[in-house]
Amino acid sequence: MSANTGSELKIVGFLCNWCSYGGADTAGVGRFQQPTDLRIIRVPCSGRIDPLFVLKSLFNGADGVLVSGCHPRDCHYAEGNFYARRRLEVLKRFLPILGIDERRFEYTWVSASEGQKWKTVVQTFTERIHELGPAPKLDQCLMERAQAMAMAV
Amino acid sequence: MSNLDTLKAKIKERLPDLDMVVGWEQGFDPLRATPLFMRTEEDVDRLIWNPLCVHNLATYLPGLKGRKVGVVVKGCDSRSIIELLQEKLINRDDIVVFSMPCEGVVSVRKIQNRIGSLDYVESVEADTGTVKVTVDGSSQSFGFPDVAASKCGRCQYHTALLSDEFVGEPNNEKAEDDYSDVTSFEARPQEERLAFWMTEMQRCIQCYACRNACPLCVCRDHCVAQSRDPHWMTQENSTQNKWFFQVIHAMHLAGRCTECGECERACPVGIPLLLLKRKLNKEIEELFDYKAGTLIDSTPPLQAFKVEEDNINERGW
Amino acid sequence: MAVKFLAKDNLVPWLAELAETHRTIVPKREGEAVVFRPFAKEEAPELSARPTESPKSAIFPQCDTLMSFRYTKDEEDPGKVLLDLREMKDESPAVVVGCRSCDAAGFNTFDRVYMTDKITDQNYRARRENTLFVTIICEKPATTCFCNWVGGSPTDTSGADVRMTPLEDGWVLESITEKGEPLLSSTLLKDGDDRAGDAEKIRQQAKERMPEAPDLSEAPGKVLALFENNDFWEAESAKCISCGACTYLCPTCYCFNITDESSGMEGVRLRTWDNCMSHQFTMEASGHNPRPTKAHRLKNRVGHKFSYYPNIHDGNISCVGCGRCIKSCPVSVDIRSIVLHAIAAPAETEK
Repeated sequence: MSANTGSELKIVGFLCNWCSYGGADTAGVGRFQQPTDLRIIRVPCSGRIDPLFVLKSLFNGADGVLVSGCHPRDCHYAEGNFYARRRLEVLKRFLPILGIDERRFEYTWVSASEGQKWKTVVQTFTERIHELGPAPKLDQCLMERAQAMAMAV
Repeated sequence: MSNLDTLKAKIKERLPDLDMVVGWEQGFDPLRATPLFMRTEEDVDRLIWNPLCVHNLATYLPGLKGRKVGVVVKGCDSRSIIELLQEKLINRDDIVVFSMPCEGVVSVRKIQNRIGSLDYVESVEADTGTVKVTVDGSSQSFGFPDVAASKCGRCQYHTALLSDEFVGEPNNEKAEDDYSDVTSFEARPQEERLAFWMTEMQRCIQCYACRNACPLCVCRDHCVAQSRDPHWMTQENSTQNKWFFQVIHAMHLAGRCTECGECERACPVGIPLLLLKRKLNKEIEELFDYKAGTLIDSTPPLQAFKVEEDNINERGW
Repeated sequence: MAVKFLAKDNLVPWLAELAETHRTIVPKREGEAVVFRPFAKEEAPELSARPTESPKSAIFPQCDTLMSFRYTKDEEDPGKVLLDLREMKDESPAVVVGCRSCDAAGFNTFDRVYMTDKITDQNYRARRENTLFVTIICEKPATTCFCNWVGGSPTDTSGADVRMTPLEDGWVLESITEKGEPLLSSTLLKDGDDRAGDAEKIRQQAKERMPEAPDLSEAPGKVLALFENNDFWEAESAKCISCGACTYLCPTCYCFNITDESSGMEGVRLRTWDNCMSHQFTMEASGHNPRPTKAHRLKNRVGHKFSYYPNIHDGNISCVGCGRCIKSCPVSVDIRSIVLHAIAAPAETEK
């Protein structure tokens, strides 16, 4: 586990207990090298994830948010991820109107046995967030720039 | 007998079996209508029906659950009633819906933008051809489409989708809604979009008129905005915090919003809140071919699923 | 008393001068609203339209940080936690330019509550004593105006330090208080004695334009007499949607809430506006709510302004008649008609 080198970005991951969290564990047990930007929050099911969890993370300084659950048709609770799929897709399409880059949010499905896949997911997503760079902080600085911009328009 | 007189007669006929009927009357100035709660025949005589009747009276229904209530609705308002019925937030047996064909309502804000100030309105003559406003002794006339609420320009529901007493000839015209407001906003650079909301939301005063005017914000006194546990929002008045509330509001209405525009109309500082909800509706229509409040036995799309979704690609890596 | 004349073109330079020594707050058009904001260089304030919001936040901010705190663990003694606490008080000199007479008078309502002989709100006082008001008279009443019902007038000076009267080519400025006089020392202001007559004419006209006011002397008693009359308040509040637009735009509503917002080992104590239209306003920890319905709550708002407050503050009604609650109400609830209905309501017979 590397210490925070300062070049790390903040990525929040919401993982379902039964599949993706297990998948991340499998990746760990397999000693796959992974970027360390991701902070994982374990939830019982992807159906537990209120899209507002993601939005609140993005509003409060996360540079990226990743949601991962059981593959559709494989939900531990039979249909939790079917609901999640609809919500998360709507959320992803909602972000552009807010002026938030929709690439900062992604959802995917990883099973407990897919350690290698988990590694790929984390790596790909982290690389993507690094390409995008730090998210604009919704603070006074941005406020001032926003006002200057509004005046110019 | 005019349509309005017929409507009044119908209301008087049904009134003895009802606790009240909600309609509109003239408000404090000639431009402003205000909701009217009719309990007696004399009250009914004050009823008006014209392009100034902007409020969506379905908003009052969940709060009056358990009472026998009549309500006068425009076509768009009837969608909110359908949505409320669908979610079992009101009882069909307890409400009587009165309606007439609607040709549109004005946007008080658009009139304000044209005449500068609404402080001195002396008289208003509004029909669906022109709106003539007299201020300070001088009159100005506007073409109705120029000062009509934006939702009226894309109206597909001039006739209520649900009514018990309908007076007049149903109008089944349907305008196109291409969501051009959403697409043109999204065509702006991302940074500009973010800046837009930051500057708009800065002047929000957190009065929650947007929420309370919304017919489908049914948590009412138990909204997460004022809850300490869960602590979704802080008490700070930072722009970030205020904007986050609008995001909560929009997400809680995803697949439920009937686009009556009450949130935007109620806002005392004129923040264009409907845009967020229109965006969600656009996506939901594309994904699930669903329009809230149009079919009484359907289920809001986010409360349902299909094992094989038609329009969502499995996200592979 | 100094009388000066400010030419139209000199308004912005004069404000820029004031801004060097004072936080200068002016009405500004933002989107479709007129709000109070710090004066920005080269930007003319909006002085003709009535501001959408009141200047209340100049002295009583919507969200005021009373203190910040931080806990640190004592490295020597792990059982011990140190607390670093910082009180915040804003004593910077400020001036509000361009609010209406009624807006400035609103703070008199605050003073009777927050600056009494017995109790003083230090945060309120710090700003109150360091903030000056340059008011502008209203030449013509809006349909929602009723300042003369509640003891004010379009040219009232009871909250002003300097009063502005608009003329064709500028403004006549008169100092009302001693504290206001230094504001008129700028060389951008010319002597205004020769224009004082014109200004007086305009003010006279403004007063004459006010429609006649009904007599509200009975209001405190009549509103109180209706306290138990739920039917009355239910009928009056039927259309109210229980939002806080009236309260938050009101120049005299002074209620607040205090909360701690903390994250990890640090946080702030905030004082924020509260609003009696909200269900949570009177919610008790037990779960009991003495004002469970909007009828109870609207009764409180009207009752407080027109009865309870005047009853304990020498008959002063805690409403200045600015009309914002009427104009900006999403459903056009009209406080004037509620008070008039209360006065006209038949006295209840003894039970």
